[in-house]
Amino acid sequence: MEFDWWTFFFEVVNIGVLLWLLARFLFRPVARIIDERKAETARVLEDAGKARKAADEAEAEARAERDRIHAERVDLLENARAEAEAQKKDLLMKARRQADEVVGKVRAAAEQAAEEEREQRIRRASELSVAITRRLMDSLPADARIDGYAERLVEALAALGADERAAVLAAGEDLRLVAPRELSKAELAAVTKKIASAVPHDGQLPVEVDPSLIAGLELRSRHGVVHNSLAADLGRVAEALASDEQA
Amino acid sequence: MNDSPLSVQVAFHIGPVPVTTIVVTTWFVMAGLTLAAVLLTRRLRFVAGSVQTVLELIVITVDAQIEGTMQRDPAPYRVLVGTLFLFILAANWTSLVPHIEPPTAHLETDAALAFVVFVATIYHGIRVNGPLGYLKTFAEPSWVMIPLNLIEQITRTFSLMVRLFGNVMSGVFVIGIVLSLAGLLVPIPLMALDLLTGAVQAYIFAVLATVFIGAAVGEGNGAARLPESGKDIRKETD
Repeated sequence: MEFDWWTFFFEVVNIGVLLWLLARFLFRPVARIIDERKAETARVLEDAGKARKAADEAEAEARAERDRIHAERVDLLENARAEAEAQKKDLLMKARRQADEVVGKVRAAAEQAAEEEREQRIRRASELSVAITRRLMDSLPADARIDGYAERLVEALAALGADERAAVLAAGEDLRLVAPRELSKAELAAVTKKIASAVPHDGQLPVEVDPSLIAGLELRSRHGVVHNSLAADLGRVAEALASDEQA
Repeated sequence: MNDSPLSVQVAFHIGPVPVTTIVVTTWFVMAGLTLAAVLLTRRLRFVAGSVQTVLELIVITVDAQIEGTMQRDPAPYRVLVGTLFLFILAANWTSLVPHIEPPTAHLETDAALAFVVFVATIYHGIRVNGPLGYLKTFAEPSWVMIPLNLIEQITRTFSLMVRLFGNVMSGVFVIGIVLSLAGLLVPIPLMALDLLTGAVQAYIFAVLATVFIGAAVGEGNGAARLPESGKDIRKETD
């Protein structure tokens, strides 16, 4: 067995050259592509991690936004409900008030109508009573329209207060005696005589005829009237009846 | 085939320098490996195809072997260990080609390989630990061990060489003997076995080179250790 040193030398050189060749054409390119892929994978994983983190953050933000919108919606609904409730109450109150007003108006109208009806009925009754009385008085002697009313006139004057009486009587020329028909001179003289004590007057009182009195004698001046007639009595009766009915 | 497989044949001379058939075969192996590397790595893409996947698998496996043995970044050692494995594998498998003897069946090639590992061990030991740091590794665990450690440097390199030479040469011997005795088809199972032996020997050589380099650079990082599979293989082959 022999050992060829030249072969040994060549083989050492060959191995060195092969180391360089395979390093240049095999190991370095393949290792580089592996490293690049690892780096890319790490970068993609990192990007994925960042994207996931961003997605998580976006999801959290979306969830918070959704919660906020939900809370806002709840608030809006609550406010709308409260507002609707308030409007409902307001509308009900207004409707109730309007209904009360309508009812009040209707009731007032009804009361007014009833009052008018009552007044009209009283007025008709009064007119009827006046007409009846007038018919009855027409059938009585003419003296019946005057007799006894002079004394009642004096009593009526006495029943007035001093101020009222003085005011009526102070009319002077304007003070006049009102009768339902023309008075004869005797009747005028008798009446004047009877009222002279209560109605001081120089001379004869002027006489005015007013058939609406039906019967009676009244004193009238620009300051007032002393009612003393059957028409006035009937009017008072009618008013009393009306007051009683109203009560 | 020669009369003695141990003798070398001169193919031609370059001036006074004889170039043996072993060297020529090595050149063909180198050319084949380089050509294959150039062709296969010509279109490396980010999305690997099947061929590129195989290449990446080889590199990743080499890296994993180195990392598992040395517990270090495999990049500085990848080219050496990977080249040793691929070259020895290819050289061993040249026995399948008629009239071609594997270069590793001759002591010169194995000695060259062991010499490269020896130099690489010293280089990486000094590169990592510094000259003094590397020299200190010879005094571990005690200065008494310095002569033994020095002898070990030589003997393990020598064992590396002899192991590869013995296994490959014996295979060639056996096939040659059987072929001369039994004819054409009988050596085929032995040749298949020789393929397996060649792959195993390439693996063992690469792993042991890794272990030796790892032992040289392992100071401060823990001693290099054999991979689980490597322990058993070395025991059997030793």
